[in-house]
Amino acid sequence: MVDQLPNLGREKEMLEAMGMSSLDDLFADIPERVKMTDELPLPPPQSEEEIIADARRLLGANVALGDRVSFLGAGLNRNYVPSSVFQLVTRGEFLTSYTPYQPEVSQGMLQAMWEFQTLISELVGLEVANLSVYDVSTAAAEALTCSVRVHNRKATQKDTVYVSELIPPSRMSVIHNYTQGGGIIVKTLKHNSDGTLDLNSLEEAAGSCGIYVEQPNPLGILDGGLTRVKEIIGEHTAFIVGVAPVSLGLVEAPGNYGADIVVGEGQALGSPITYGGPLYGIFACTKAYLRQMPGRIVGRSIDVDGKEAFCLTLSTREQHIRRHRATSNICTNETLIALMGAMHMSLLGPEGLQKLAQRNMAACQLAKQKLSELGTITLPHLSSANFNEFVVELPGSAADCLTYLDTQGLIGGFDLSTWYPERRNWLLVSFSDQTKATEIELLAAHLAVWSASLVQGVAA
Amino acid sequence: MSHLFEHNGAGGRGYSQPDPIAPSENIQIPSSLVRSNLPRWPRLSEPEMVRHYTWLSSRNFGIDTGFYPLGSCTMKHNPRVNEVIAQLPGIADIHPLQPEHQIQGTLAIFHEMQDMLGICAGMDAVTLQPVAGAQGEFTAIRCIQEYFRSRGELGRTKVIVPDSAHGTNPASASMAGFEIIEIPSQEDGRLDLDALRAVVGDDTAAMMITNPSTLGVFEPEIAEAAEIVHNAGGQMYYDGANFNAILGLTSPGLMGFDAVHYNLHKTFSQPHGGGGPGSGPIGVKSHLAEFLPGPVVKRRPIMPNDQVTAANHEWWYHWHEPESSIGKVQQWHGNSGAVIRCWAYYRRYGRGLKTMSQHAVLNANYLRHRIIKEAEKAGVRHQFVDGAPVDVVKHEFTISMAPMKEQCGIGAMDIAKGLLDKGYMAPTVYFPLIVPECMMVEPTETESKETLDEFAKKFVEVLQEDPETLHNAPVTTKVRRVDEVYAARNLTLSYPFDE
Repeated sequence: MVDQLPNLGREKEMLEAMGMSSLDDLFADIPERVKMTDELPLPPPQSEEEIIADARRLLGANVALGDRVSFLGAGLNRNYVPSSVFQLVTRGEFLTSYTPYQPEVSQGMLQAMWEFQTLISELVGLEVANLSVYDVSTAAAEALTCSVRVHNRKATQKDTVYVSELIPPSRMSVIHNYTQGGGIIVKTLKHNSDGTLDLNSLEEAAGSCGIYVEQPNPLGILDGGLTRVKEIIGEHTAFIVGVAPVSLGLVEAPGNYGADIVVGEGQALGSPITYGGPLYGIFACTKAYLRQMPGRIVGRSIDVDGKEAFCLTLSTREQHIRRHRATSNICTNETLIALMGAMHMSLLGPEGLQKLAQRNMAACQLAKQKLSELGTITLPHLSSANFNEFVVELPGSAADCLTYLDTQGLIGGFDLSTWYPERRNWLLVSFSDQTKATEIELLAAHLAVWSASLVQGVAA
Repeated sequence: MSHLFEHNGAGGRGYSQPDPIAPSENIQIPSSLVRSNLPRWPRLSEPEMVRHYTWLSSRNFGIDTGFYPLGSCTMKHNPRVNEVIAQLPGIADIHPLQPEHQIQGTLAIFHEMQDMLGICAGMDAVTLQPVAGAQGEFTAIRCIQEYFRSRGELGRTKVIVPDSAHGTNPASASMAGFEIIEIPSQEDGRLDLDALRAVVGDDTAAMMITNPSTLGVFEPEIAEAAEIVHNAGGQMYYDGANFNAILGLTSPGLMGFDAVHYNLHKTFSQPHGGGGPGSGPIGVKSHLAEFLPGPVVKRRPIMPNDQVTAANHEWWYHWHEPESSIGKVQQWHGNSGAVIRCWAYYRRYGRGLKTMSQHAVLNANYLRHRIIKEAEKAGVRHQFVDGAPVDVVKHEFTISMAPMKEQCGIGAMDIAKGLLDKGYMAPTVYFPLIVPECMMVEPTETESKETLDEFAKKFVEVLQEDPETLHNAPVTTKVRRVDEVYAARNLTLSYPFDE
């Protein structure tokens, strides 16, 4: 405490300058009936040394992903983030600034975010990107409400949007919270048994305000059928695609196959997983959606001398101007994490991104091949192309399998019955640029032992 | 000038990567999905990248650069140990779907934070899930909405906000589906109870208000306001943006509020990061607890078969899903990294959080006093008036530059630009909307007396500049006054590759 308060011990001097004698005088305007009379029932202050020791003890008791062999992903990925990103992002001029309301002294962050917008725009193939929303779930939710604002007038299915049935309940829950206030009806889009989108059922969505699907989808499947979506739903229905940004080093940018809005979880570019937050949500769109999009945008301008300068623009969409008519309530966003993303993208360059995507995909493909050779387990989507993750169908419950793998020192993946209760035996396994071939061998070996023990158990 | 997209050295790659673990020729992608053209990203070596971002940082102003009195944003010092802690693998490298026995340390910290935030605000239950203040508002309003739905009170469709409220209040309530009723403040900026009485009724769901208000003034009749709203069957929502003023001195619970959000990036020093990330936990009274977004952390005494670690030798920490939860507002467990930093910050103060708030208020009053004294001495006191005519303010204060605007055409924005030339970040300008030509000044507790004395002097020096100079300000910054109209009329939202 003492190290944070420069005026500790100087209260009297400052109070006397104001003609006061006690700190209590500063709170004379608080009525007695609402005053706190007792001391806060909290422990005494600690020194920096004590705090960091406690932090090391408590956080050191956690099992970090790096302590184990891990195949847990489910949309968050442990890509390597270069050291210079961490070194630069903690520069105080970035770290301790806030929203650049005074552009003349905030050109650094404004330009960095304008560059971020460009990097994202290029990545997803759309003209406009904002400087981040909270995460992919809120990005998807805000994209759907945006689509209603843009299309409801001409829509034949008013206030209606469609969302892929594979979207995890946790993401759907966010979408529900963001859409229920506007009275938006959320219907589901069916998928085929091979995991691809059912394009016949998609015809039902024509005339609605928007549809939301993911590429790769939540089971890791890359769906070539999505390139036909826009022609089926038509120009008056927004085609919204959620992406894994690293995949776009190999996979076509959704803007090039008709997407109107692209959202995504930016985390794999630039940020550790950090227990699921802070992350950054990517939000990009065509110009037709620009004035209805949420969040902050930086524009290029000039100063009074005609020199290039940057500032926030199109603020009339935002809550501090438009109040209850704003396109979104978002104010504080994820700028610093987006900045980490921009730094990582700058270091990668186009070919580096391609290589990163290849490394992720090669690991996934190698694992698929190794696990398909086991015989005791099946891969329900064996013939599909997968990015980062795929489903393993086990001879027993995924929950039991994960418990077993935990005893062997592996974080084995994700029990998909958490998302889809009827899929008790489905395990989602995830691979990244950090996955080693020996780790895949280890997973295969342990799955073989566990599966064999089940099969023998049944036989006995 | 350094343009990222002009760096395009042949074959330049900022960091080298190992080769794929399997031949990349074997990679299968549906033919319709093969990427046709790579993004037009720049090609930088590591030294070029490091220099570019260092150059950008030199063109940005943070708390570390200088005094940052941005009202309503609580720009206090950000201790660096918090950054060190947030990079420990026990938080940076853990996954939100790991089983409870692998993350007892994080859950223990979350539990401690839930408890502490509940104690400070006088609330019974806390969720850490919302990731920003505005999302906290939205989440709490959703809880109130489900509370009324559960009671069959479907006619409560209106949310009342004072005209001094942050823009996020009406925006958040509107997103949840409520109609907004804005009530005028009294002449002196305080809450008008008659105006409140005139609009409450059986259609009132909630009132959203911050106290101290956006004028930095404590609302003396807050308990009466709560009674009026409660008697009409509505709920009281506390916008915690100004919480830094009152820890250990009063609490939203004592004032009669039912729900509150905390801005951890304001009160508890999560760095603002140029615009985020933030963290916006909410606290509620017990009748709203079952509606909170889940999961929240609970604990029970340790049992014989539990896996004991250095984090949980007494208690077993576990997730709990509130019975009638509104569901989720962020997919995982909120901005956990921010919560950890703010835990480290809280530990620095403990029960001394009261001293923190006392010093925030001391500094605001002292600076206000010093500015007035300096202005009197220089004979320019008539050029501005108080935003609210009160004896003491809380953590921030407002002044109106309206007299100066009338006298010589110099408004709040010109003064702000003049302050940039003196090496300061400008206070918040043109907010709250009810004060004409408003400047909102919040020094925070982490500024020294000398800094405040110096700022008061420089502020009054700016008031004495000739209008021509102020119209032209700033002149010492990296760029001069930026044309925001030009930016909106000539939209260039990304690098023009073809230019």
